[in-house]
Amino acid sequence: MKKAFGLPIGLGALLLAQAAQAAEVAGKVVDPAKEWDHLWHELLIDIGIMGGIFAVLAAYWIYKYQAKSPDDIGTAPRSLSRAQMWAWAMVPAFIFMADDFFLAAKGWTVWNIYRTVPPNALEVKVTASMWNWEFEYADGTKSTYYVDAKEGDGLVVPAGRPVVLRMTSLDVIHSFGLVKHRLKEDVMPGRITYIWFLPKEPEKTFVTCVEYCGTNHANMYAPVVAVPPAEFEQWLKKKANKA
Amino acid sequence: MSNHAAGHTHHWEFSWAPMVLTIGIVLVVPLTFVSWFVYKNPTLAAGFAGVGVPLLLVGISKWVAEGLSHKPLIEGVSPSALPIFIISEVFIFLGLFVSYWTMRLSAGGAWPPAGTPEHMNLALPVVMTIILVTSSVTYHVAEEKLDHGDLGGFRGWLFLSIILGLSFLGCTIYEYSHLLHEGFGPSTNAYSTAFFSITGFHASHVLVGLGVFLAVLIPALAGKTNKYFTFCAGMYWHFVDVVWFFVATQVYYW
Amino acid sequence: MSTASSGFSLKEWVFTTDHKRIGILYLIGSIAAFTLAGLMALLIRIEQSSLGPTIVNPNTGGDQYNVWLYFHGAAMILGFLIPGLTGFAANYFLPLMIGAKDVAFPRINALSVWLFFGGIVLALLTFIVSDPPDVMWTGYPPYSIRTGGNTALYVFTVHLLGFASILGAVNFLVTVIYMRAPGMGWNQMNLFVWSTVTAFIIQLVFVPVLAAAVTMLLFDKYLGTHFFDPSAGGDVLLYQNLFWFYSHPAVYVILLPALGILFEIISTCTRNMVFNYKAAVYGGMWGIVLISGEVWVHHLYISGMPDWIRIGQMVSTLLISVPVGLLTISLFGTLYRGAIHFTVAMHYALGCLFLFLVGGLTGIPLAMTVLDVHLSETSFVHAHFHFIMGIFAAFTVFAAVYHWFPKMTGRLPGAAMGKLGFWLNIIGVHVTFYPLFWIGVKGMPRRYYDYQMFPEFEPFHKIATLGAFIVAAGMAVTILNWIISAISGEKSPENPWKSGSLEWTHCPSPPGPGNFPKDVTVTADWHPYTYGKN
Ligand code: HEA
Ligand code: HEA
Ligand code: CUA
Ligand SMILES: [Cu+2]
Repeated sequence: MKKAFGLPIGLGALLLAQAAQAAEVAGKVVDPAKEWDHLWHELLIDIGIMGGIFAVLAAYWIYKYQAKSPDDIGTAPRSLSRAQMWAWAMVPAFIFMADDFFLAAKGWTVWNIYRTVPPNALEVKVTASMWNWEFEYADGTKSTYYVDAKEGDGLVVPAGRPVVLRMTSLDVIHSFGLVKHRLKEDVMPGRITYIWFLPKEPEKTFVTCVEYCGTNHANMYAPVVAVPPAEFEQWLKKKANKA
Repeated sequence: MSNHAAGHTHHWEFSWAPMVLTIGIVLVVPLTFVSWFVYKNPTLAAGFAGVGVPLLLVGISKWVAEGLSHKPLIEGVSPSALPIFIISEVFIFLGLFVSYWTMRLSAGGAWPPAGTPEHMNLALPVVMTIILVTSSVTYHVAEEKLDHGDLGGFRGWLFLSIILGLSFLGCTIYEYSHLLHEGFGPSTNAYSTAFFSITGFHASHVLVGLGVFLAVLIPALAGKTNKYFTFCAGMYWHFVDVVWFFVATQVYYW
Repeated sequence: MSTASSGFSLKEWVFTTDHKRIGILYLIGSIAAFTLAGLMALLIRIEQSSLGPTIVNPNTGGDQYNVWLYFHGAAMILGFLIPGLTGFAANYFLPLMIGAKDVAFPRINALSVWLFFGGIVLALLTFIVSDPPDVMWTGYPPYSIRTGGNTALYVFTVHLLGFASILGAVNFLVTVIYMRAPGMGWNQMNLFVWSTVTAFIIQLVFVPVLAAAVTMLLFDKYLGTHFFDPSAGGDVLLYQNLFWFYSHPAVYVILLPALGILFEIISTCTRNMVFNYKAAVYGGMWGIVLISGEVWVHHLYISGMPDWIRIGQMVSTLLISVPVGLLTISLFGTLYRGAIHFTVAMHYALGCLFLFLVGGLTGIPLAMTVLDVHLSETSFVHAHFHFIMGIFAAFTVFAAVYHWFPKMTGRLPGAAMGKLGFWLNIIGVHVTFYPLFWIGVKGMPRRYYDYQMFPEFEPFHKIATLGAFIVAAGMAVTILNWIISAISGEKSPENPWKSGSLEWTHCPSPPGPGNFPKDVTVTADWHPYTYGKN
């Protein structure tokens, strides 16, 4: 990762972000979770450099400037000249700002991927209540999971196809947290929120409730299972017949 | 606060008014509320209020008495302190108004929501505005009188302002009882929520203002006044008056 | 107000209107809150140390845990840090630093401290009532309205503490404006004074909004209004917006005085001029005041706010690093060409420099909307705010107690025990919170007493629990050290750290009524941070 060392570069990056992102999505569906991991590593390097400079300097100075005697006094100049004063304020300020805009641009790019639902996504309705998740498919079939009895299928989706969730709650605020796909969004009464994710291959993971909702907040989870598309169709049919 | 204007005090200053006042506040507001609304225990609530109100009154009167008889460490800064305090009051009202605007704007065409009386009484707020503005003017006259050393005139005009303030509250009570009678209470709908919260919160400020007026009037009957205190009481009252314009225009006529 | 002769008198203590004694009362109250909330933290850590219910009753599930966590969060922020910094430190040191005999309104000051204690009493009712509040320190509706817990106690605690700090704000702003020693210009004020001024400006503007928000909560729950009830035209997210509109700026109410204290200690213990004073004041502190009100949505990144707000406030949140960065440069720069004297307070201060970097820089990924979508509501957030608030800012309070210990008691704090406490504390917090960073990135959710879907996190929780006990040992040593030193510590010279600031150069330790034996005036070339040669 290159660091941006000027405001213009930062701002330019901000503007380019939009265009770059559009190009990426147009091709094929990108996996937001992968983009997240990538951005996370870049960020670690960025703040590592920022913090590293300060930390190393501080450690060196603490070592170097130890008082020699109890009466020792510091020798920094009493005040900076006007030019030094402004320089020491403006130059760092612009470096910090450049870094901020750089990070903002990067973040915005990935954010746009997160918020742009691919057109072929499978839609599932999610209804949360204290303390249960219910999933409803386009044909009206419902699926859920009972934590106490450890019964039910939870959210079953076809692997390889993006899934978009339209979510609402019957009582208090919950939050749909999908660690594996680096996702979460609150689920509220009276509003519908959405997120989408891409289960690339068959996998078994789970959703946890990540907004505090009382006694069983810690137990409000359900399996999220991606199966081969054919198997998914079968499952859905079986489920619909049972109902 | 020292009386030793010349030298330095070699005494620790103390006053029991703040602590008594605080105990009064804690008993009267949180504990009474909790007993009544949460534990539904009227006896307990009455007990807390019964102990708290006298403490509150004692604390306030001690405080006022000290304020009138002691020379502060630095004088004449309260007229700058009160506006600073009023900034924070402004933000409380803003919080309430923002909530009202949010609910109202997100309702779109569905406003006023079902349950609101067809014809709110829109004449009453005009009367109330007139009363409140008049009381601001009468208080101003009272201050003028005091400036010219006319203590009798001061008391009279101050008394008049208190009467006007009380009649304002009377109007509020009249209005509330009517609305409640029509089935329009705080829990009716989003509009009633905002209506009662905002007007009620404003009314509570009128009540506090009246309390301050009383705290000015009672010592004044005994001939004791303090020009900064009188000035601050007036400034607070004018502030409450100005807020009313926002309350009236936003809540009644918008 | 009555006056009475000197000599110990209980009446003069409990009814005091003297800023120093009020400061001490604040210190006692806030350390008590810290201890209790810290004990709750130990319960929390024990509970999380193993999978499944560990010490909670398995039948009531999380209820007990939720009450502990509620008390821990609320008491630490509202009962310990804000009163510790803006109550204790500001009360005791600010009037001394500007050469004033007291604050402008001593009785209002006493009213604040008693309101604060009133708030503490209400918070303590948590342990007595049968239906303790379980709404967390954030109190989000609709849960806080539907819960069977006593939300009213939460609301009134916030009211009392909020009212106390509004009164404090008015008092201290007037004091600084009107009561500076004759001759003291704005640019000659200690940075701690500046930091308090800016912190109180934030309090003044934002606390009322919080008060309004929790009042609406009270009305909704007990009077049946519908502010937050979408089924009757209310708005679920309204509360969160109002709450964070206050509570984000509130973190700077903590950060600013904490940095102010560090500036005092570091400048004194390096006997050095603060680097670029004006940039720190006008760029750093005022910059924070300016931006702090426009970033609250970074706590609502996962709440379904409109996308454009989430992006807009990502940019403004990131920009906070500019003023904070300027303060960082001044703070670190003060070491340059200094003469570092390693007092106990300086140990804490130097430790804080590193804690600040860790805590502050981990705010950056949280500030980026898309990264926060994964990190939000995980223990990564915990680790972030414990580093910057629970550790960095809390350590500055401890540092302040050590640094001004001779001022307050006339005795020197025990150095050996002080350093032992410091090392236990700083090692302990790293052992506690680094594992939380790690499992946070892996997805460990917040406010979970049990984490059966993440069994692989158990060892990390165990390490964190171990760390918490190291901190507990460190804190026990520290508090014991204060008590022992206050009673039987070595008598201190008048100016043990050889500071140039008024509270050390012009007034006895401990200061008596009226603070200064002679009226203080300062000349145009006086500055609190000038030492000898420079
Ligand atoms: C004292 C308290 C304090 C302070 C000072 C901060 C400071 C910051 N915080 Fe933190 N924060 C909290 C206390 C605090 N926070 C708490 C309590 C919570 C959780 C609340 C809850 O939900 O219960 C929280 C949560 C929180 C969130 C929400 C997470 C979530 O719930 O999803 C976010 C998101 O943006 C955030 C960001 C930041 C940022 C950007 C800063 C910045 O101010 C940090 C700035 C500092 C630096 C950046 C380091 C020094 C600067 C430099 C070395 C210069 C160069 C650096 C760059 C150019 C990057 N914080
Ligand atoms: C100033 C703020 C502050 C401080 C200092 C701390 C300190 C600590 N916190 Fe706290 N914490 C918060 C603020 C703070 N916290 C907040 C705001 C939350 C969020 C709440 C929410 O989600 O709503 C939180 C949440 C929180 C959690 C999350 C739980 C969950 O989400 O499920 C955890 C878990 O480990 C934790 C742990 C700790 C620990 C181990 C300490 C330790 O550092 C504590 C160490 C202190 C002690 C152990 C006290 C010991 C003192 C003595 C023993 C002295 C006695 C001796 C004599 C009298 C002589 N905290
Ligand atoms: Cu549902 Cu937490
Ligand atoms: Cu914040």
